[in-house]
Amino acid sequence: MAEVEETLKRIQSQKGVQGIIVVNSEGIPIKTTLDNSSTVQYAGLIHQLVLKARSTIRDIDPQNDLLFLRVRSKKNEIMIAPDKDYFLIVIQNPSA
Amino acid sequence: MKVDVEGTLKRIESYKGVIGTIVVNAEGIPIRSTLDNSTTVQYAGLLRHLAAMARSSVRDIDPQNDLTVLRIHSKKYEIMVAPENNYLLIVIQNPCE
Repeated sequence: MAEVEETLKRIQSQKGVQGIIVVNSEGIPIKTTLDNSSTVQYAGLIHQLVLKARSTIRDIDPQNDLLFLRVRSKKNEIMIAPDKDYFLIVIQNPSA
Repeated sequence: MKVDVEGTLKRIESYKGVIGTIVVNAEGIPIRSTLDNSTTVQYAGLLRHLAAMARSSVRDIDPQNDLTVLRIHSKKYEIMVAPENNYLLIVIQNPCE
């Protein structure tokens, strides 16, 4: 658990990082550096997106799997690292 | 204008590791592709939906914001999807090369 905390702290300290959210397999945020309403909003939307991205990859090739997702927009970049039981969302401002 | 498009696509296609490029129009019809027909149609259909979902997620969070690129890293390759004016540019690359 301490290692997880250390990793999250390290990511949080990177220049430009606006927020970090850890979501469990049900889409429930279990850790966050953002306010509650933003967290819930991000978690819900990103959860759906990850499921869709994963099934897209598998539809194309059932032997393949999703490793990482980057959603770059005009204002920021959302990076999502899905795992078996959780996924990690990091929101950053790439120009910072 | 058309010459610029061709030049840009050729430049992208010449990069090491690029497996394929697809341009999809506003109706979801692939208008240009370096891949075979069935693969093209499959990618175009699936990624169009995924890009639309990513775009609406971005806009739901902030209506002033918009999606610029979606990068999907999988075990075998990376797919980049860039929407522009209802068109969609899809590039599939092997990032290890």
